[in-house]
Amino acid sequence: MEFDGRLPREGINTSPEHPLREFALLVAGLLGAVAACIAIAALAIDRLVPLVPPALEARWFGGWLAPGKSSDPRAAQVQALLDRIASHWDDRPYPFRADVLDEPDPNALALPGGTILVTSGLLAQVASENELALVLGHELGHYRARDHLRGLGRGLATSLVLGALGSSGELVAGLGAFAGGVAQRGFDRRQESAADVFGLALVQAEYGHVAGAGDFFARLARWQRDAPAEGRRLAGYFDTHPLSEDRVTALAAEAAAHGWPTEGRLTPWPTPAPE
Amino acid sequence: MESAIDAVVNIAVPLVLLAVAFFTGRRIERRHYQSIRARENELRMLPAVTFRQIPSAWVVDSFGVVSGSVVISIDYFKRFLAGLRTLVGGRVASYESLLDRARREAILRCKEEAHARGYQAVVNLRLETTRVTRASKNNRATAGVEVLAFGTGLELRRDPR
Repeated sequence: MEFDGRLPREGINTSPEHPLREFALLVAGLLGAVAACIAIAALAIDRLVPLVPPALEARWFGGWLAPGKSSDPRAAQVQALLDRIASHWDDRPYPFRADVLDEPDPNALALPGGTILVTSGLLAQVASENELALVLGHELGHYRARDHLRGLGRGLATSLVLGALGSSGELVAGLGAFAGGVAQRGFDRRQESAADVFGLALVQAEYGHVAGAGDFFARLARWQRDAPAEGRRLAGYFDTHPLSEDRVTALAAEAAAHGWPTEGRLTPWPTPAPE
Repeated sequence: MESAIDAVVNIAVPLVLLAVAFFTGRRIERRHYQSIRARENELRMLPAVTFRQIPSAWVVDSFGVVSGSVVISIDYFKRFLAGLRTLVGGRVASYESLLDRARREAILRCKEEAHARGYQAVVNLRLETTRVTRASKNNRATAGVEVLAFGTGLELRRDPR
């Protein structure tokens, strides 16, 4: 019996594959799979949402933020304006409620069940009632397209997919969230312009002209471009309402296509309190 | 704009960390393998074997327990790659070289101890692997692995060669 001191052989207990190749394959696969999952879920939700009758939706979510809870005195004024705007939507599915959210960033949200939340920051930036009318009309447009249900369903699908990834480390989850955001972006833009068009039609029906309606968006877009500090504060609105000067020009084009007058008397906001 | 900053913090910073970890990890691994191969060659003629019984031809003058242990850490890149691997399954190639290095280094240290203490052979060699966990709160991540090699060193009257 001889001991001959042979050296270990390389490459038996290790794999020859280059780690960067493995990295590229796995990352590409992960991004693709997450984007595909969320896109498929979004398409399925788009098909399912029209099948939910508004009455059922009102029953599910009607209890959300019942009116009268707001302490903001402007809530009643916003509600009055919302009632006037919504009255031009003939087959509105349920009564809409408006409430004011005490939040410095300007934003507006359409909650399932017909509650529109407007932040106090948005009310502070509004220069005329016509501007606010378009913001509210835009949110009504989301109800008409039932985007609030889509948003809810997509949010749920996204968190399910990302939740499944959550256990595999922060960066993996971060990459997944990035892919999910990209997959949703395209849907959002289409929804926003459709809601704009509907909101503009409501404004025209209410005032007989669309003057001042786009001013709010134009002002936001200008701030975004010229004043970085101010623009950052508005980031919340841009996150949920992808906004650009294109959108303002699209509104003008829509008004021109229907022959809606863009000049007219602006109604002041806030409405002077009746003495 | 805020979302752009978020994206930079959430995506770009980890990517830079990944790149740094990839290059440093690779360099450290290459140098470690160089050292392992050189020392394996030096100690080639000192047998470290798994026999439990001493061959009858060997005349043992003295003996004692010898051991070698090493703790090797996972780098950020390898951990990330392994994290992705857990999603789809398959061989965790990024850990294979790590454990290969750890086992060979532990055996080498065991042999180095035997050599330093004047033993000409190690029998009944055993390997044990332990996960070294990080003590920080809310962190289940593995800090690294310890591989321990131990056996019985023998001083022989006549060289086993």
